[in-house]
Amino acid sequence: MANQRINLIFATLADPTRRAVIERLAGGPAPVKDLAAPHDMALPSFLKHLDVLERADLVTSQKVGRQRICALHPAALEPVEHWLSRQRRIWEARTDRLAAMAEALEEQAQPGNTPRKDPRR
Amino acid sequence: MNPDLDLELTRIIQARPATLWRCWTEPELLKQWFCPAPWRVKEATLDPRPGGIFHCVMQGPDGTVMDEGAGCFLAVEPERSLSFTDAMGPGHRPRGKGFMTAFISFEPVEAGTRYHALAKHASPEDRKSHEEMGFFDGWGTAAEQLEQLAKSLEN
Repeated sequence: MANQRINLIFATLADPTRRAVIERLAGGPAPVKDLAAPHDMALPSFLKHLDVLERADLVTSQKVGRQRICALHPAALEPVEHWLSRQRRIWEARTDRLAAMAEALEEQAQPGNTPRKDPRR
Repeated sequence: MNPDLDLELTRIIQARPATLWRCWTEPELLKQWFCPAPWRVKEATLDPRPGGIFHCVMQGPDGTVMDEGAGCFLAVEPERSLSFTDAMGPGHRPRGKGFMTAFISFEPVEAGTRYHALAKHASPEDRKSHEEMGFFDGWGTAAEQLEQLAKSLEN
């Protein structure tokens, strides 16, 4: 479930137009026409991008008079934060294996770590 | 250090810095610990000097090959520290992509080595293809299995 959510967010953010909208909305809510203005594309194409953002729950919109105002929904990004804890798990497990390996190498090199048997007894 | 993008770990390991150095710089040793089963390191090419190649090709249990291309070592102080990145290739040539720069250091202490790792990441938006996410999902699961394996090796 969480993975599907992360995939959806990453797929949504993979497009530069949609990232630009997110960046713009990070500064505060804005009307659709203001959001569309910097982008060199027909309005219907831009609206498709907005629709993708809304379906990913990254952006919300509401009608205010004749305008549609968009706003960021930052809580939707929370699942993405888990990627770093995943990296941490990778590094911790990797360090476990490294430690086990290095310790085993030294044991092979120095069998004298265990109390040596006296051959005369 | 940016807590949203970077991670750091410190561990006391009961082995000398020289041994840990070998584990990091000899391909046949690195292959044995670098990636979690059921994945394995298929090829490791390591040239531990500034600008020298750092390249691991990994293979999954179903034969899937994961090759992010060759990175390079940045700074290298034998038995003390090393750093590498996947943002540059051999000879420090920029690759135009990359996800991580890692700094590893080995400090001799009475019990063995104080091992320190710092991984600095690009923002996750710079990465993510579905294949990669799937790959790391696999690693997450494998990491848990592996902790148990590592523990069993220590016993």
